[in-house]
Amino acid sequence: MIHKTSPEVGGMGHPLRRKEDSRFIQGKGNYVDDVHLPGMVYGQMVRSPYAHARLKTVNTEKAKKLPGVLAIITGEDLAKANLAWMPTLSHDKQMVLATGKVLFQSQEVAFVIAEDRYTAADAAELVEVEYEELPVLVDPQKAMDPGAPVLREDREQKNNHIFHWEVGNRKATDDVFQKAPVKASVNAFFQRCHPAPLETCGCVADFNKATGKLTVYMTSQAPHAHRTVFALVGGIPEQNIRVISPDIGGGFGNKVPVYPGYVCAIVASLTLGVPVKWIETRSENLQSTGFARDYHMTAEIAADRDGKMQALRVKTLADHGAFNAAAQPTKFPAGLFSICTGSYDYPQAFCEVDGVYTNKAPGGIAYRCSFRVTEAAYLIERVVDVLALELKMDPAELRRKNFIPPDRFPYESSLGWTYDSGNYEAAMKLALDKIGYAELRKEQAEKRKKGELMGIGISSFTEIVGAGPAHTFDILGIKMFDSCEIRIHPTGKAITRMGTKSQGQGHETTYAQIVAQELGIPANDVTVEEGDTDTAPYGLGTYASRSTPTSGAATAIAARKIRDKAKKIAAYMLECSENDLEWEPGKFYVKGAPSKAKTIQEIAFAAYTNMPPGMEPGLEAVDYYDPPNLTFPFGTYACVVDIDKGTGEVKVRRFVAVDDCGNIINPMIVEGQIHGGLTEGLAIAFMQQIDYDESGNVQGGSFQDYLLPTAVETPHWETDKTCTPSPHHPFGAKGVGESPNVGSPAAFVNAVVDALSHLGVKHIDMPIAPWKVWNILKEKGVIS
Amino acid sequence: MGQKIEKTFSVAEPLDKVWTFLSDPRKVAPCVPGASITEQVDDKTYKGTISVKVGPTVTDYRGEVQIERLDSQNHEIEILGKGQDVRGRGSASMKMTGKLRTLPNGDTEVTSVSEISVVGILAQMGGRVISEVSNIMFGEFMKSFQARLQQPDASAELKPIKATSVAWEATKGLFRGKS
Repeated sequence: MIHKTSPEVGGMGHPLRRKEDSRFIQGKGNYVDDVHLPGMVYGQMVRSPYAHARLKTVNTEKAKKLPGVLAIITGEDLAKANLAWMPTLSHDKQMVLATGKVLFQSQEVAFVIAEDRYTAADAAELVEVEYEELPVLVDPQKAMDPGAPVLREDREQKNNHIFHWEVGNRKATDDVFQKAPVKASVNAFFQRCHPAPLETCGCVADFNKATGKLTVYMTSQAPHAHRTVFALVGGIPEQNIRVISPDIGGGFGNKVPVYPGYVCAIVASLTLGVPVKWIETRSENLQSTGFARDYHMTAEIAADRDGKMQALRVKTLADHGAFNAAAQPTKFPAGLFSICTGSYDYPQAFCEVDGVYTNKAPGGIAYRCSFRVTEAAYLIERVVDVLALELKMDPAELRRKNFIPPDRFPYESSLGWTYDSGNYEAAMKLALDKIGYAELRKEQAEKRKKGELMGIGISSFTEIVGAGPAHTFDILGIKMFDSCEIRIHPTGKAITRMGTKSQGQGHETTYAQIVAQELGIPANDVTVEEGDTDTAPYGLGTYASRSTPTSGAATAIAARKIRDKAKKIAAYMLECSENDLEWEPGKFYVKGAPSKAKTIQEIAFAAYTNMPPGMEPGLEAVDYYDPPNLTFPFGTYACVVDIDKGTGEVKVRRFVAVDDCGNIINPMIVEGQIHGGLTEGLAIAFMQQIDYDESGNVQGGSFQDYLLPTAVETPHWETDKTCTPSPHHPFGAKGVGESPNVGSPAAFVNAVVDALSHLGVKHIDMPIAPWKVWNILKEKGVIS
Repeated sequence: MGQKIEKTFSVAEPLDKVWTFLSDPRKVAPCVPGASITEQVDDKTYKGTISVKVGPTVTDYRGEVQIERLDSQNHEIEILGKGQDVRGRGSASMKMTGKLRTLPNGDTEVTSVSEISVVGILAQMGGRVISEVSNIMFGEFMKSFQARLQQPDASAELKPIKATSVAWEATKGLFRGKS
């Protein structure tokens, strides 16, 4: 149990209002585009209209003549500096500006720098590029054909195959399948989608020729990692690079990779010696930056006749677009997709993934997802429902029968993960009780008799977050620890800095609450600062729900180091032995004499004014936390939908989300995270897809076609929780930001399929737009 | 972005007259809004330009028009047009099949089937906008075709359809549904 502090202190469990919101709701946030530096100029990309074409000439003469144009950088210019290509986070490389040929529509071809944004945009229109069209590959299956055109001529390997990755025991799994009395399978395509953060990507690169120092203000979820990449790729001494991530307007994984625009702005500033700003338009963001998913998946379950699952077999084709620019740990080309056994106890499992190049924008990033766990959770929760149909068994009953029981934790999965803790049945029971599952089934039976369509969907997902332990997890060789530094000021107030970076998650509040919990210093007396590589300790940034599991843990440990020193000072002040002291948040007191006490504020003052002889002055600590394991948040989402037979429109009647993220820092922020993630999940399930036509034209390259949910589409979310702390995390937390995006798509799709299952429907690919449902109803003869 | 557009209209002129006009690209091209023939390469191949303005995007295609098939017996013509935007912002191709038939009242019915394929910025505007723009352009073409057929010397100045009018017409089209 976590000791509950007073509301004034505001430690863990208090629904503290977010400290950052006072500036956000007053329009006083400071985003990259708010940065204005003296003498600043503007960059604009020239992009390819073709998905695959030979680049014949890039003529910049007319554009250069436009008054106000300062310079134009082409791929050939960058090639001279050996910068035409850059490494991706997945052991591939990516063109910064195209040389030779272009490989996707909207690929970066030239970078125009002008005195103002409008001149830069006008000049970009004047750059004349001659292309020779080449055959386009948009279908990853066709890209794998032996005769398919080779997209990446730069590689030694002369095909479009990127990697094959497998885990589990293929033979043992196949053997189970051969003998199994019941089998179920699903082909599920998790469509290409895009995080579409409200703030697009951008930067201001400011190279000071006098000091040799490069400052880059950028939309970065991982400022330290980006600084190291710039140092390694650009050859600039790392101490001369300062990356500052100011306020970030949503990241969701989209702001993890390094994009060509950042590199071009830096090159331009190095060349011109003035600050260069580059800000993407909405369409540029949707069409060229990190997309997510695009997994063509097959899952099969072998089971007993009574529904006990015996084995799982998964085969996936991963479409990475033109470059494998996936942002994920080095050893995991398909991320943590092998969490696909989900909440179930499979004696055998086998999972294989093949990556392939196509003429599409490069990626894919982990959109509010811990590296492909969303794809995995969707797949397993979908195929379990298909098995339930096969067995004619209630999907809740089938899940209950196969859940990993609470007494089996820590649980070793057949695909190699050690689940830290879980109680899946408790979360499902709460969700089903809350939504009134038994009554809903009765209602559904009645409605079917009348020809009305309603469905109930369940998703009992398991996550795997908080990457990660250094023995397994690194990005470009850098281990995935994270950090916290705490300095206590003489008056007992504090500043803390982390290697992570909030993009709206509320770090300024939650980290302060951890300090409040551990030291008893009121959360409002704690300043949290992130995103400046010159001041913050090194860390790998915020994504994969890793901030609480890593930097959050580091914060607690650093605070405990401070508490250890404070104890020594308190003993000196109270003239007693350390062993005689007891701690309660905010003060040390002498055992049996509570009035003989020193508050943390008094101790802090003494650390600078009256320290024990021989003790180093000051009160501060830093911790680099290497987590012993990942954390495994889970939950059950239950959804009721009604289908309008006339239009095919699906209406979400109710949605109950029960989450278990272990001990909670701020329940209000957790609930906000869940609302946001469910809304994104709704959009993915029903509205969003970055599609391509056969010529490689982006269909979904603006908000005209890539739809964002508004209050009109979004149903009322009902949330609840169970609490199963992580046994290895310093305060038992697990991380929550991504659960709703990971768990909800399957709940929505399962509900729609459930509404139509009596017609023989087993699966519908997302996004489930009204026309898809309407076509099914027509095909099945429900409507004429 | 592939689109198939089928259109039928009739003109109050005898079939032979219509056929003579239709089978000569130099006569037909000026009827297409924003289009002109700049050069005759051989008896079946012509070079030309077409300017299409959709909302904020002007696309100037420069390319070739080729008569793939000219069947004077059945009065069928198949034309293949291919062009690239002069500023390298995309390409478009069109295969058009035209067929003439005499109606019972002596008028001539023109049936055309066009398969349009667009790559680039214009293609991102989405099929609904492209088909609206095609409809508007075809409407203009029809009027011009009829007018020129009756007064072969008419030389009304032809310019790209104005952005505002296309954007507005296309928007209206979206709201009224299919046209």
